[in-house]
Amino acid sequence: MSERSLLDIARDAVEKAVSTSGVTMAEAYVKKGRDIEIDVRDGTIETIKSADEHGIGLRVFCGNQMGFAYTTEFSTEGVSDTVRRAVANARQTEPDEYLRLPDVPGSYPDVDTLDPDLLGRSVEEKIDLARRMEQAARAFDPCIEVIESSTYQDGVVEVAIANSKGLAFGYHGGACGVYTALTAGSDGESQTGFALDFRLKFAELDPEEVGRQAAYRAVRMLGARQHGSQETSLILEPYVVVSLLGVLAPALTGEAVQKGRSLFAGRVGDTVASDLVTIVDDGTLPGGINSGPCDGEGVPTSRTVLIENGVLNGFLHNTYTAAKDGTVSTGNGVRGSFKGAPEVGTTNLFLAPGQAEPEHLLDELDFGLLVTEVMGMHTANPISGDFSVGASGLWIEKGRISYPVRGMAIAGNITDLLKKIDAVGRDLQFFGGKGAPTVRVRQMMVSGS
Amino acid sequence: MISKDLMEEILSAALSRGGDFADVFIENKRVTGIGLEDGKIERMQSGSDIGAGIRVISGESTAYAHTNDLSREGLLRSAEVVARALGNGSQERTFDLRTLRPTVEFPVSEPPDAVTAEHKVDMLQQADRAARAVDRDTIKQVMVGYGDVVQEVTIGNSEGVYVEDRRVRTRFLVNAVAAKGDVIQTGYEAAGTVTGFELFKVYDPTQMAANAAQRAKSLLDAEPAPSGKMPVVLAGEAGGTMVHEACGHGLEADLVQKGLSVYSGKPGEPVADASVTVIDDSTLPDRYGSYAFDDEGVPSRPVTLIKDGVLTEFLYDRLTARKEERDSNGHGRRESYQHKPVPRMANTYIAPGKANPEEMIRDVREGVLVRKMGGGQVNTTTGDFVFEVAEGYLIQDGDVGPMIRGATLTGNGPEVLRRVSGVGSDLGFTIGTCGKEGQGVPVSDAQPTLLFAGDKEEDLPISVGGTRMRGKTNAEVTKSPRIRRV
Repeated sequence: MSERSLLDIARDAVEKAVSTSGVTMAEAYVKKGRDIEIDVRDGTIETIKSADEHGIGLRVFCGNQMGFAYTTEFSTEGVSDTVRRAVANARQTEPDEYLRLPDVPGSYPDVDTLDPDLLGRSVEEKIDLARRMEQAARAFDPCIEVIESSTYQDGVVEVAIANSKGLAFGYHGGACGVYTALTAGSDGESQTGFALDFRLKFAELDPEEVGRQAAYRAVRMLGARQHGSQETSLILEPYVVVSLLGVLAPALTGEAVQKGRSLFAGRVGDTVASDLVTIVDDGTLPGGINSGPCDGEGVPTSRTVLIENGVLNGFLHNTYTAAKDGTVSTGNGVRGSFKGAPEVGTTNLFLAPGQAEPEHLLDELDFGLLVTEVMGMHTANPISGDFSVGASGLWIEKGRISYPVRGMAIAGNITDLLKKIDAVGRDLQFFGGKGAPTVRVRQMMVSGS
Repeated sequence: MISKDLMEEILSAALSRGGDFADVFIENKRVTGIGLEDGKIERMQSGSDIGAGIRVISGESTAYAHTNDLSREGLLRSAEVVARALGNGSQERTFDLRTLRPTVEFPVSEPPDAVTAEHKVDMLQQADRAARAVDRDTIKQVMVGYGDVVQEVTIGNSEGVYVEDRRVRTRFLVNAVAAKGDVIQTGYEAAGTVTGFELFKVYDPTQMAANAAQRAKSLLDAEPAPSGKMPVVLAGEAGGTMVHEACGHGLEADLVQKGLSVYSGKPGEPVADASVTVIDDSTLPDRYGSYAFDDEGVPSRPVTLIKDGVLTEFLYDRLTARKEERDSNGHGRRESYQHKPVPRMANTYIAPGKANPEEMIRDVREGVLVRKMGGGQVNTTTGDFVFEVAEGYLIQDGDVGPMIRGATLTGNGPEVLRRVSGVGSDLGFTIGTCGKEGQGVPVSDAQPTLLFAGDKEEDLPISVGGTRMRGKTNAEVTKSPRIRRV
């Protein structure tokens, strides 16, 4: 492969596209990445996986039509072929007057995206982190039976974006993290636990803590039984709230609103949640693993308060949805990879922490369910907000944890749930690009047997 | 894509510092995707993805590297990365690769890359119109998606295997949204095969679109689902999500060997009612999960997992097979060159029995009939699963009663299989993308009509999770869940 800079490759592709007959605008997004993933089992390496990856995603505009194509070939022929396919695709799409590319912005936010320390760490140090996590999990309790995985991973990327309006910008990024999943067993019964921590800075990783957390999550579920159906208060652990945020996230995009797919459409200014609820997307968040100077279109990132004290403030936008709404992009033209055109997506999305001490949230409950795990949240209906998930957790009686329960189902509607939140903890915790504290919800239907 | 000579050179380099086994997976994939929404072709994209994955297994350890650089230098560099990751010795190995011929083939009569873009676009637009024609007032949104993939792979390994395979997959899906007042419901239909455009001779896109829209519309007037344990009939046409989640994942050898499956240590033991036989057959013609070779170059074959209730075999890839000193049974699959292979399902089904499906419903006094299932999830360690009901009805005194919405079914895999009380003579397949370890692979699953009944509540293995308490009316409930298959 040639040693040209990514920005040069991007500029050349744009040049090649706009010199094609009928093409009025073009944009190239070039990405190059290097990842490593290490799985340790019983102290030895089970898998070590390293990846070298690059590619280019090209958007071409023929008047009001847009087409997209991608390739992993940086060669002249590879790029030419991709231009040709993108143009052919553009010809098939419906003309849309709001399609446009961003102008050259004034400035980009100063965001830390790469910890130089990460680049200097050896493979041995990384293996050691995974080993320490595994050991800490085992040492936590003799009931820990199987460490399903004890994984370290990191990745560094270089991104360059250029468009035919003169925008040309590139940056380096990186993140690292640990993940473990395990089982605890007793009397022939098995329960699972997991924990993870992803960070910008290598030195901030605490593998022992992650190992202990995973072990605790499994051990506390031993002896789980079923419980009958009833309406009750729920306390949702941060990870459970984060999976709810995963369902809410699409509904908070301009794209979903414009397509009539959002349960928040037409409700800006309305109270859509309890006044304890504030939801923020922040692409400039210090230490956020999805923080960066710009989004996938080269638009500067920003902090957007989507729901403030229960009131819906607005939505996330990319350049297209902003043009359609007569507003400006919030810097949320997110790309999963070079293999897709920018959509509207979240960066670091979180439910802002409240005042409550998480451990005091159960004090006032005669009975209730502390939900530690939900299953099937991905099946929730993002349009109506309806969900029905399998759940397990800890049954609460008279303000105290009484015994673990499993095989429960919780059904309801997300907007209804948001309004029933009556306490928000101060323990904001991030799981990758999404974060939440512990919350308490009144009167939800829980069914069991 | 690369010569046998170069393949041999890469394998030698990968094993140059030690190691028991090496393989190379080279992939050239071309994809097309078209999306229609709001009556407009919104998205038309195509991609070309070329890369290689190189693996070395040394004892219990695996090293894997992948790259987009398919030049000789690029491939040897990646081979060096995997060699260094685990090895510190040196060894010289030479190979004489032999080309394996497939035992089953999937001829493509209408290659999707030979069909014009105009024709594909026209098909999506017709589907959109058919869905909207169901009811102009209530059908508010229609999303139609089409995708085709042509994947060429070359696989070589240190046991002398050399395989070249070309896989063509075509799929089509429709999602319709209906709304009336505050109530929003969706209906979903999908079809896919290991063939080309001939898929649409079997599945009519406009009929699928109309069915999806009709289901969304009907759900608007459906009753909230009851909750609690009750008799359940899973219709054959409902598809195989239950068998996939309730037992399929737990029969994958990696989870079994790690002690993460409820079926660990159970081969030869009864694990299901004697009426239950479970098969995974990756050789079935026209099924979405089929292949001639798995992603480790092992020829495809049917595998009987449970025979008359007794556990007979697990699903193996090469790595898990090595650990038990047996052969892989052709279930080492991967999403792409970026992923190492792991044991996966292909086309998993419960074999049909003898009961008449209609009579099975007639035997139920009060319960739920599931006509279409959605997505699901399972915890393989406990066997607990959940899946959504996309189309369900109450059964009242043996008759199919009103439609319900918002139901999910929860249960425990092994318990559900032990408590099957009737197996129908039909069989219905559904398709999906199955996720495991961050890798998605195309699968299909099926089952005959199954009855779960019993006189006492403790004999009923499935709980219905709805918003309405059984036997009570809950006036506060105005909305209830309805879920989509992902």
